Amino acid sequence: MARMVVDPVSRIEGHLRIEANLEGGKLTDAWSSGTMFRGIEMILKGRDPREAWIWAQRICGVCTMVHAIASVRAVEDALQIEVPENARIIRNLIAGAQMLHDHVVHFYHLHALDWVDVASALKADPVKTSQIAQSISNAEKSSATYFRGIQKRVQGVVDSGQLSLFASGYWGHPAYVLPPEVNLLAVAHYLEALEWQKDFIRIHAVLGGKNPHPQSFLVGGMATAMDPNEPAATITPERIDFIRDLVRGAKKFVEDYYIPDVMAVAPYYKDWFGRGEGLGNFLCYGDYSSGNQNDPKTFLFPRGIVMGRDISKVLPVDPSKITESVAHSWYDYSGGDTNGLHPSVGETNPKYSGPKAPFEHLDVDKKYSWLKAPRYDGKPMEVGPLARMVVGYAAGSPKIRASVNAALKALNAGPSVLFSTLGRIAARALESNIMAAEMEGWVDQLGSNLAHGKVAIFNPVRWEPDSWPASAHGYGWHEAPRGALGHWIEIGNKKIVNYQAVVPTTWNAGPRDAQGLKGAYDASLLNTPVADPKRPLEIMRTIHSFDPCLACAVHVIDAQGREYTIPRIS
Amino acid sequence: MNGTVVLGLGNLVHSDDGVGVHAIRAMELDPRVPAGVSLVDGGTQGLSLLPHLSGAERLIVIDAVDTGEKPGTVMRFEGKALRGIPGKASVHQLGFADLMIASELIGGMPPEMIVIGVQPESTEWGVDLTPAVQAALQPMVKVVLQQLEIWQECSV
Repeated sequence: MARMVVDPVSRIEGHLRIEANLEGGKLTDAWSSGTMFRGIEMILKGRDPREAWIWAQRICGVCTMVHAIASVRAVEDALQIEVPENARIIRNLIAGAQMLHDHVVHFYHLHALDWVDVASALKADPVKTSQIAQSISNAEKSSATYFRGIQKRVQGVVDSGQLSLFASGYWGHPAYVLPPEVNLLAVAHYLEALEWQKDFIRIHAVLGGKNPHPQSFLVGGMATAMDPNEPAATITPERIDFIRDLVRGAKKFVEDYYIPDVMAVAPYYKDWFGRGEGLGNFLCYGDYSSGNQNDPKTFLFPRGIVMGRDISKVLPVDPSKITESVAHSWYDYSGGDTNGLHPSVGETNPKYSGPKAPFEHLDVDKKYSWLKAPRYDGKPMEVGPLARMVVGYAAGSPKIRASVNAALKALNAGPSVLFSTLGRIAARALESNIMAAEMEGWVDQLGSNLAHGKVAIFNPVRWEPDSWPASAHGYGWHEAPRGALGHWIEIGNKKIVNYQAVVPTTWNAGPRDAQGLKGAYDASLLNTPVADPKRPLEIMRTIHSFDPCLACAVHVIDAQGREYTIPRIS
Repeated sequence: MNGTVVLGLGNLVHSDDGVGVHAIRAMELDPRVPAGVSLVDGGTQGLSLLPHLSGAERLIVIDAVDTGEKPGTVMRFEGKALRGIPGKASVHQLGFADLMIASELIGGMPPEMIVIGVQPESTEWGVDLTPAVQAALQPMVKVVLQQLEIWQECSV
């Protein structure tokens, strides 16, 4: 038996280390470790709850919006504030845009290189690629000349030696099986996706104030004025048209590129419909309401739990059953590590007890991760796009059922293939399609409200701290691109007394709990074949299928050991 | 000075890592910044920053750069030295170097680009800069302003 170590896992957000046992060419056990401490909870204590979101959005390097949403919802829950319909719609649009943007960037720019061999694309026959493209999609850019041009551009980058963007692929690995022509198709769309996302994310500049860090959230609503009598009105008919165009463009991108590309690549990797199954337990908080923002009956993605891959029933979510264990995490709980704590009384007392760097292996019998281990009713759960599609499918959501069934039909497969590495990839594409369609409806509703003079966007009733109770507890949930996100807040004497964030990647990548139960990542790696331990492409495929976000993002550019002189300025 | 972007990078809750963002905030209140210069708080974003760069003629990036120098040392990178700044070492899903190449792939980097870096002392959790880096903040801003002045003179 050999112990493998992948550290750091690249093309993700944050620091992740995987240790795994390899026996007879397959993984027999695995341990994921978040190797960086996230201490936002400590930074928030003592601050004004109304500004919690401004700090919370810096928890993560990429998904700023989602933490802002969960944070304002937590405070609104604690202070019992209803937000106006327009604020709910704008939050849905901001979050929906984040989801579409994240999913496309994840598929094309972070995950595709696990499946697509860029080097092979340079050898493709552009005429054949053109034929494939035209057979699977209505995308306009599909001529042989176009694909020849793409080859030239990529060759230019390769020739210049600046391979950084593509450098983390394992080129030439035997597990890459796409024909050169399909590789070229995917590389071309990698570039199209770059171009598309650049324009699409302007939605956030309109609705969020200043992308990438929104300025427009408020406890009680949004700061994006709609009343035309206000000089600072940002939601105008022109801007609504602008957003509608971007949303339509997004729908077209998903239909012409994203879905066809997933469906074109999947048949070459059918084995991966049977790998990476993981826990089979799925948790979805549910979100994207068409009524009250907290009313699950009106959610686009239904709230619920599916256990043991049994899609014949959906269990309700009881918020009191969520706990976090630190039995194998580098924290101390004041009452001991045997029992988990509910996030409303959660503690963040970091206490590193791991080995000093450099080290060979973590002692996984003891504490070995900076992530806590979230549990629902004591059970580990998978969260994310697959959880949303599985729970929605089981709950009978017509939109989700139609979308999943169409994909299964095209693949000539039953629902069991969903529980896999490729299932996660497909779920992400399918929900992008559902989201893009839904967003246009929200834009129309916003436009109609504006036209009818219904312009309320902020509920000031509990803005003044004097209107607050002496102490209050609340939580805010959001279905972020990567899954179920929750912020819990305790307010006392108008200040934050306690704040805890349980983020999607903690659910999926957390370590063992006191009972020794595995989290989703570790369970999903079992039985994965690894052809070449030095190039663990197979581990990357399954771990990347979760879209890891270790949510800590220290950004220093590390230039040490590089050969250039440093001109000093005194 | 249209077509000029100053981009501050870093994580505000990781002490010195956030120095680029601190610099942008300082410049937002600074009357010496020429009109038309776009100041962007880039945080730790990757590809989301592309729209802010597209069409830019001149770009200054401000960031913490770990070269092992004395904390607070201000450095300037341009031309070939920029190519040496690695992308993979970044803990972000796509690093700054990736952003540069992505930008080039879809139609070109700003023709003029300079990175102003400062050596961090600490990137632990915290919202304040360490004294050494705090002391370097105004000198950094001054270097940026000088560069803007040079560009302004050239473009007249």
